[in-house]
Formats: sequence, structure tokens, C-alpha cells
Amino acid sequence: MTGFLNGLLRLRRGPWEMLASILIALGVVMLMQPFALALYTWSFLVTLTGTVMFVVVSHFPE
Amino acid sequence: MSYSITEPTARVKWLAGGLVVAYALITLVPLLWIIATGFKSGADSIAYPPKVLFEPSLEGYVNLFTDRTRATPEMLEAAGPPQNWVEQVARDQGQVIAGPSRFGERFLNSVIIGFGSTALCMILGTAAAYAFSRFRVPLKDDLMFFILSTRMMPPIAVAIPIFLMFRQLGLSDTHLGMILLYTAVNLSLSVWLLKGFIDEIPVEYEEAALIDGYTRFQAFYKVVLPQAATGIASTAIFCLIFAWNEYAFAVLLTSGNAQTAPPFIPTIIGVGGKDWPAVAAGATLFLLPVMVFTILLRKHLLRGITFGALRK
Amino acid sequence: MTHSLIERAAEGTPPGIAQKLRGLSDRSIAWIFVAPTIFLLLAVNIFPLIWTVYLSFTDYRVNRPNRDIEWVGLANYERILGDAGIWSTMQATAHFLLWTLVLQVLIGFTLAYLINKKFRGNDMWTTIIVLPMMLSPAVVGNFWTFLYQPQIGLFNYAVGFVTGKDPASFSMIGDVSLAPWAIIIADTWMWTPFVMLICLAGLRSIPDSIYEAAECDRASKWRQFWTITLPLVLPFLMLAILFRGIENFKMFDLVVQLTGGGPGNVTTLSSIDLKREAFEKWRTGYSSAYGVILFVTVFGLASIYVKALNKVKER
Repeated sequence: MTGFLNGLLRLRRGPWEMLASILIALGVVMLMQPFALALYTWSFLVTLTGTVMFVVVSHFPE
Repeated sequence: MSYSITEPTARVKWLAGGLVVAYALITLVPLLWIIATGFKSGADSIAYPPKVLFEPSLEGYVNLFTDRTRATPEMLEAAGPPQNWVEQVARDQGQVIAGPSRFGERFLNSVIIGFGSTALCMILGTAAAYAFSRFRVPLKDDLMFFILSTRMMPPIAVAIPIFLMFRQLGLSDTHLGMILLYTAVNLSLSVWLLKGFIDEIPVEYEEAALIDGYTRFQAFYKVVLPQAATGIASTAIFCLIFAWNEYAFAVLLTSGNAQTAPPFIPTIIGVGGKDWPAVAAGATLFLLPVMVFTILLRKHLLRGITFGALRK
Repeated sequence: MTHSLIERAAEGTPPGIAQKLRGLSDRSIAWIFVAPTIFLLLAVNIFPLIWTVYLSFTDYRVNRPNRDIEWVGLANYERILGDAGIWSTMQATAHFLLWTLVLQVLIGFTLAYLINKKFRGNDMWTTIIVLPMMLSPAVVGNFWTFLYQPQIGLFNYAVGFVTGKDPASFSMIGDVSLAPWAIIIADTWMWTPFVMLICLAGLRSIPDSIYEAAECDRASKWRQFWTITLPLVLPFLMLAILFRGIENFKMFDLVVQLTGGGPGNVTTLSSIDLKREAFEKWRTGYSSAYGVILFVTVFGLASIYVKALNKVKER
């Protein structure tokens, strides 16, 4: 866990990509879950953030 | 034969084989049913219980290729004796042939668009894959990912602007428009696959050719192309199958002139009620080439599917 | 931008080769080779995409070309993301997605595992199992409606034969509670082979030596499966899941032919809903925003896919 945080702070690719992937997955789940309309409403923003983040951080050094 | 502890025992093999064969046979039933229904008469096709044994009839195929109208017995009497067996089949259903149906045209459209886009895609794709493989392109990974992701776009989402663009350029409902569109859609996968195949050819061959006085272009088509032939062929089959099967773009962007078979076959209706033998006949003619292809070229195809999904 | 890219590409090419050239230079060859592809992709993929994004901020309607196009900002997005109707198509998509993935992974993996036992004739049977996925989904989907006919349909007859139910008593595509399963069954029939092939590639990539070592340690077959087979195939399985997930998220052809989205809206997957908005109601701006939402989702999933791909390749 400390390694993960450390990686984030030092702008390493691995942990940031992981974070972006989690955001994308979260957004997709929010988009299609049957429980709360509010989650659906905000899902797109989460997916979009994750996707943009992914594109950006994939240029960070390993 | 060397004995290996990881080799499954004969009993395990029998059991595994039995289960797989059972699944394969079940999977095959709908396909065999399509082929069988094509040779049934209208009454046999909707019989209850479903008929496995039946008297073969060419009604489906005749109905597929003709437009017919219902005729009263007096009209049939007045029309005189049938000229040929095709007319005979129609008469037996109490119908007269009004003219050829559009199926032939639609099938031909599928052939033209399928082969046209595959050929174009191979020419462009091989060239681009070669450049990506042999020259150092900055941002190559981004470009390659980008090219792949275009393949993943939902077709309906992109169809809106393509529809507008084609209308503006006069490409809607034309063969050229569909060929260009399918080429673009297939390019992503084929560049991706072909780059893999070309990467595997050692650069030394070309370097030797260049030293022997070939130009870069000659080295490309005299050295690289023959080496990549198998790869190009299997990629071409994938492009062809995609273009052959594609439905979403075809149904949205074509109607009268360049419509391919997939949007057409579901619209086949008989004289009074859905003519299932004719639909099945059309489906058989349309699907059978792909089935035969798959069985004949199984080695390349099966490798290609895995390769296409797993390669980067 | 593309041009400078190609130039830099040519500069990056080893000078040893470049010097040997006569005729066209490497730079122009690279340019000639890549340009048509880039151009076509720009024209048919990128330009429409940018146009969609632009249209998604407007209230443009294709069927009223002469009306002024008004800039509406984020209004389309707000409406779509607040619409309970679209939310329910997303749930229909989720139901379809979830069950097709579960069934295809279970059946596909089992088949791959069995085929990997290398019984005689396994290639031939693999080929037969693969047949459905090579065929046109629209044509096949259309024919499945015939198999699903009450009474006369082969599927209903088979179900009736096995369970003793009257084949005329239920309609797979007419019944609200059965229609979602009708599309799941047809999709599973069609696409299980794909998952199977990827799993098979995974299983075949495991070297025998690992099992031999486990055998020496007297690990049971059961234990070998959970500690060796499954973990080593898992990355491949992930890829198959992501790939099928993306494909089924945008599923259109098979389902539109099978049920057309009905009865009611129970099988209206998001692509089918989008098609209605865009090409039946002609709400171009609105449906562009809809398309952008679907596209971003697919693009995000595709990024994860490529990341997973790298993991598999490192092996």
C-alpha cells in the first residue's frame, strides 16, 4: 500500500494506471447499476475522468 | 511413445471427448435446421411436431429468387401450362411468377463490397503495417492503440456523422461508400495483425536485398511480401468475413442500390405470411460459404482469432 | 502533425539502410505507405467522431436541415443522464452483459479445459464449435426467431420435450420475462466459442514442466487446478471477458433482429435505443451526446483491455 502511494506521489505509471482503471470500472458499474438514479447521473463524469486520466498517465515513466 | 505423467488417461480422454462432441452436436442443430428448412415446403416448415424427415422441395429456393402473386385457379388455367420447373413449383403453391426477386442483386452487392473492401484494406493495411514495423515512428504505441480503439467504437454512435457526411458527398447508398467505410473499419484490425506478421520477418533479409542493389520498394514487394503471404491471406479472410457479415452500417446507410444481403434476408416475406423456407434458403446461401471457408481454413482462422485478440 | 511525424519516423531509420537507397528515399516511402491509411482513418473514423462531439452540444435535427443549429451546451448530456428511461436500457444492457459473460465464461472455459485433454479429433470438433461465431449475427438472429416460435419452433419443441411443458404455452420473444433470456441464449450459442479459443490459448501456454513438478510434490489434481491452471489462465480469461464485455455493451445486430428491443422495452439495449433516437426520432444532437457517452465508456474499457494485454504479454 505504501508502495502504491509512493508510486502515485512520484508520478509512476503503474499505480496511476491502476487508479484510472478503477475509476473507469467504477463508472461503468455506476452506469448500469439498478439501485440509484443519482449514481447513474454521475457515472459518465467518473468514466470520463478515468479515461482521460488513463490517456495522460500512460505517458508517465514506468 | 514416451510416457508422460501429464498426459491424460484414456478414460479422461473419452469422457472429455464425449462431452465436447455432445456440445458440438447441440451447437450444430440450429445451423443444420437452417439448411434443412431451406429444402422444406411451406407446410412442412411450420408443421408440429417439427419435421426431421420430410420430402425435399425447392419451393424455398424458387421463392427466394422470384417475386410471385397469388392466382385463382381460373387465372392459372388461363396462363397455360408452366414453361419450366421453376414456374411449376410456383404453380403448385397457387401462385404465378411476377419477376425475379432482388436477392440476386443483394447477394452480388455483398460480393462486390466484401471483396472490394478486402482488397483495398489489404493494400493499404500491408503498406501501413510495413511502415509501422520497419520505421521508427514516434508515438507509435499511441497511434497503434488509437487505431485499435477505432475498431471498438459502437457502430451506431459513429453512424450518425457518417450518415451526414455520406449524404453530403453523395456516397450514401453507393458501393464506393460502403467499400470505403468497411475498409476503414477493417484497417484497424488488419494493420494490427499485419504488423505482427511483418515483425516476425527478420530485417536482415531486406538489408541483404538493399545491399544487393534493390530499392526499398523492390525489397518490400520482392522480399517482404512473399514472406508475409500467409499472414496477409489470413488477415484478408478476417476482413472478408467482417464485411460479409456486417449489418449495422449496411442497414443504416444503404437502402435501394447498394444494400447487402444481411439487411435484406430478414425482410423476405412470402405471399401472405412469413416465408420461412425462403428465408432459410437465403440464409443457407449466405452462410454456407463462410462455413465451408471456416472448415477448410481452420488452422489459419483459429490461430488468427486468438492472435487478433491477444496480440499487441 | 502527421507529416512531421512521418518525417521524424524517416529520420529515425538507421542511416546504414538509408545510404543504400536508390530511387525513393525512406522518408517518402514511409509517407506514401502510411498516408492513405491515416487519411482514411481520419476521414471515416476521427472526423465523424469530432463531429459527433460537436453535434452533441447542439440541438441539430437531420430531418430539419434548414433550421438554425442552436448551441445548447451540456443540456443534452443533462437530459440523457437524468432520464430514467435510458437508465433502464442501461440495466437491460447490464442484465444481458452479466449473464452472457457468466455463461460464456463457464461453458467456454469448461470446453477449452476438455479440449485441452487432447482427445482424438479435437481439432475437428473445435472447428465445428467455432462455426456460429463466424456467421452473420443479423441473419442468424433472424433465423433464431423461427426457432423461438411457440409450438412450431424447434427450441420450444426441445424445451417441451425435455421438461414436458406444452411448446405452445410459452413464447421466448413475446414474453416480458423470457425475452431477456432469449437474447442471452442466442448470444451464448454464438459467442461461447470465442471465450473457448482464448482460454485454449491460455491453457496451451502453460508448460507441462509445471504440472510435472506439482506431480512430484504429490499435489492432487484438484489442487493443481486451483493453484496452477486457474491462476495461469486467469489473465487470458480477463481478456476474453473484457473483449466480450465491450462487444456486448455495443450489441446491436443479433438482438435487433431477434427481438427488435421488445416486448415493451425489456430487450432494448443501449445501441438499439440509440438507433431509435438517431434514425427514427431523428434527434441528432441528443443522440450524438448519447453516442459520446457510449463511446467514452467503450474507450475506457478498451484502455483497460490493452493494459491487461500487456500483462499477458509479459508472461
